[in-house]
Amino acid sequence: MSPEEGAPDAAADDAARDYLETTIWAEVDRALSGITARPVTDEEERSVIDLVVRVPPREVVTALRALRDAQGMNFDYLRSLTAVDYEEEGVDVVYHLYSVETRHNVTVKCRLAADRLVVESATSVWRAANWYEREAQEMFGVRFEGHPDPRNLLLPEEMTDVFPLRKSHPLAEIEVLQGEGIAYEEGEL
Amino acid sequence: MNGDIFGLEINIWLDALVRLGLAVALMTVVVMALIYLERKVIARFQQRLGPTRTGPAGILQSPADALKLLGKEDLRPKNADPWVFELAPYFVFIPIFLVFVAIPFAFDWQIRVLELGLLYVLAVSSINIVGWVMAGWGSDNRYAMLGALRAAAQGISYELPLVLALVAVAMVVSLPGDVRGSLNLVEIVAEQGHIPYIVWQPLAFAIFYIAMLAELNRTPFDIPVGESEVVGGPFVEYSGIRWSMFFLGEYTALLLLSLRGAAVFLGGWAWPLGEEVADQNAALGLLYQFTLTAAKAGVLIFTIFWVRATMPRLRVDQLMAFSWKVLLPLTFAQIAANGLVLVYGWPDVVLLAASGGGLVLLAVIIDRAVRRPTPRPGLPSGGLEGEAVR
Amino acid sequence: MVANTPEQEFETRELLINMGPQHPSTHGVFRMVLGVDGEVVTDVVPYIGYMHRGAEKLCETMDFRQGVGYMDRTEYLANFNAELSYVLAVERLAGIEVPERAQWIRMILCELNRLSSHFMFTGAFGTDVGVFGTAFVYSFREREVILDLFEEITGDRLMYAYFRPGGLAWEVPENFETRVHEVLLSARHGIREMDSLLTENEIFLARTKGVGAISAADAVDWGMSGPSLRASGVPLDLRRDDPYLYYPQVDFDVITGEAGDVFDRYHVRLREMRESVRIIEQCMEHLSDGPILPERLPRMLRTPPGEIYERTEAPRGEYGIYLVSRGGNRPYRLKVRSACFSNLQALRDMTIGHYVADAVVILGSIDIVLCEVDR
Repeated sequence: MSPEEGAPDAAADDAARDYLETTIWAEVDRALSGITARPVTDEEERSVIDLVVRVPPREVVTALRALRDAQGMNFDYLRSLTAVDYEEEGVDVVYHLYSVETRHNVTVKCRLAADRLVVESATSVWRAANWYEREAQEMFGVRFEGHPDPRNLLLPEEMTDVFPLRKSHPLAEIEVLQGEGIAYEEGEL
Repeated sequence: MNGDIFGLEINIWLDALVRLGLAVALMTVVVMALIYLERKVIARFQQRLGPTRTGPAGILQSPADALKLLGKEDLRPKNADPWVFELAPYFVFIPIFLVFVAIPFAFDWQIRVLELGLLYVLAVSSINIVGWVMAGWGSDNRYAMLGALRAAAQGISYELPLVLALVAVAMVVSLPGDVRGSLNLVEIVAEQGHIPYIVWQPLAFAIFYIAMLAELNRTPFDIPVGESEVVGGPFVEYSGIRWSMFFLGEYTALLLLSLRGAAVFLGGWAWPLGEEVADQNAALGLLYQFTLTAAKAGVLIFTIFWVRATMPRLRVDQLMAFSWKVLLPLTFAQIAANGLVLVYGWPDVVLLAASGGGLVLLAVIIDRAVRRPTPRPGLPSGGLEGEAVR
Repeated sequence: MVANTPEQEFETRELLINMGPQHPSTHGVFRMVLGVDGEVVTDVVPYIGYMHRGAEKLCETMDFRQGVGYMDRTEYLANFNAELSYVLAVERLAGIEVPERAQWIRMILCELNRLSSHFMFTGAFGTDVGVFGTAFVYSFREREVILDLFEEITGDRLMYAYFRPGGLAWEVPENFETRVHEVLLSARHGIREMDSLLTENEIFLARTKGVGAISAADAVDWGMSGPSLRASGVPLDLRRDDPYLYYPQVDFDVITGEAGDVFDRYHVRLREMRESVRIIEQCMEHLSDGPILPERLPRMLRTPPGEIYERTEAPRGEYGIYLVSRGGNRPYRLKVRSACFSNLQALRDMTIGHYVADAVVILGSIDIVLCEVDR
């Protein structure tokens, strides 16, 4: 059984984590010199297989560009860009990067304050960010400054005041039927 | 002035009307049969059964479709140009039927013997492009417009090789008394009693066949009506009876061009032994000659169906380039070669050699051209999406 | 009245053509507005979102096991691959060990699904290029054979919901191995037929070579993945580069193209199908008896807090599941990273400057599934 299986092989797991948090982080840290980045090592927040790096919102595009252009482990591929809503704690914007050559992953995160959901657009770094940012904008209300085409992507164009993927947005019927335990009790499953 | 039909003497105008009426009625039936056959043939190519439910082996499918189309509402878009939109089907339909006048089915079996029959056929059959453009323009639909313009460009480009390929044959028709050259379709057919012209002019036949596919807007030249691009092209807004008139026109044109090809290149009713059988027994000979014509046209039609089932569609620039850069020069070369043979009185074998060489050249050119990647005609802006959004 | 200058008389204006959302070759409800100058495309503005059903939000309200069904509905041509991404994410997050047999069967089914999806592509692509249904019918015959097998296994032709966090829903039928061999036999035959029907067709070559080319650097910049990226010469295949299941144990080649044009995107897929057949054959050798679910699977699946971005190589490219959990039996946030979403972004870059007819072919060569793009 390979370690990729998520097998509860504690020793291998720790070794992999060690590798992420030392070797890869060292590379990332070198690329991000001058930027206040820190790796997420907290048990509650970290990713199971990737290194997660937190960057302040002001510096995020600088950091992304530095990671893209870094020597050695250049994270030149934007896998995905999305946001996670933590209600009053703010919204995380998450960038999943990949290095095509060295085949390493890194996740860059920045936390936006709930009352100021603005971050610089990454379209200047990757053109791929275009649609992802449009989606995050319409779904979470995060404004990406400098985006060349900030129209709605998936939602109707005039629907600019509703942000469906925020936790505060109700999903009425389904929550009532399934989420809140009407369909089944906890012990039933 | 009186003509006779079936041995009865009647007024010549009435006679023409009767013959034309017979032709139209016959054609409608033949077209329905053709549609049915095409569906069956292509179904076989695609490992399907085709129509099976309507009547035995589905033979009533076409009449059923025709009835359905007749019963459908005749829609006209609000913004369409009413006159142009509604008259367009007639401009496609009528010229095609006029072609009938000069097509020989068997010895002495045609509506009229025209001295310049070939010229008449070619002239009349290119009018229908006007109908296509009218349909495209009148529909006020951008797909229709695009399709109509494509049809016009294609029709004009392929008319030339088509006509010139036939002219090449008309040049070398040898008539009794050592005269060469005729535009009379009856004479052209009658002269092929021993050897059809496809033998002497294979290049002209190949060009004729390709140009015929293009003229008919059949695969691989179905660019004006390309389902996956312009969704039916000029016909996109038509429905019911008007749409079926286009359809009828299309299939009649298919039949007529095949008949023309059979007459000019494959020896029509004359080859093989058409006249000899008729000399023995008039009735049997007539039947035999009809069968010959039908069989030859049938083979051509079958190959057209076959091509349709196999080939993808060309692109509009490739189509134009193929006509102007490949087919047209080769037809000119063919005509020049024929001219030389006629002027210097060389034996007919030279015709075969020149034409055969041209055919090989055509094959080589096509083979080389398709393997070359096409460059992008316009330059990409490379800008982000949305920059050009107004 | 002011007389027009000759320039104004002959002023050419860009014609806008609206393609879709109802159009035979947009492969679903996709709309693009083409600006054309004559036949040359000068601008492309794609519109998506017609199929947006909020699968991500719905999954947040569901038990981990219920989410599998929604994954089916995002990627309806490669459901097993979509399910796989999701169940792997849940398993890794929850630390569930999956029995060996279940993993091998998953691998076989995913590769079979890749075959069926690529058959769908070759057929639909043939239609885009203008073959009157023949390529479509031939490839659908092969796809049908595969779907029959899936139906025998899962009871459904499209929405399988067969993978579970921890393994499989139920055991495969007894004649599974013979049936897979039969399917492979017909698939191999079908690949050969596609080769002779399309790859060797002169007009097909003329229509696809050099059309919609995109360079390796541009493709990476646009975040393209899967065969569309590999056609540009970037050997990125997650089965090899970021291995999951038992892919390190089987031998297969990563197929790449050179020019990154439409023909390469088609040909990479076709050659990839042969590799899939190879992979399945090797998987069949490894298949042994055993359980298909772990012995101790909790009745209520809960995950510790944490997050995971699980990515797998679906037929159309990287299918990623970003799963954030704060504990409990439901995802806190689930993001589906769909391959076509990124690939489709590059459409504008690929299309501008080509002919209208090429726009259709280029769109077809990306092999979009709109349900996956919109989610």
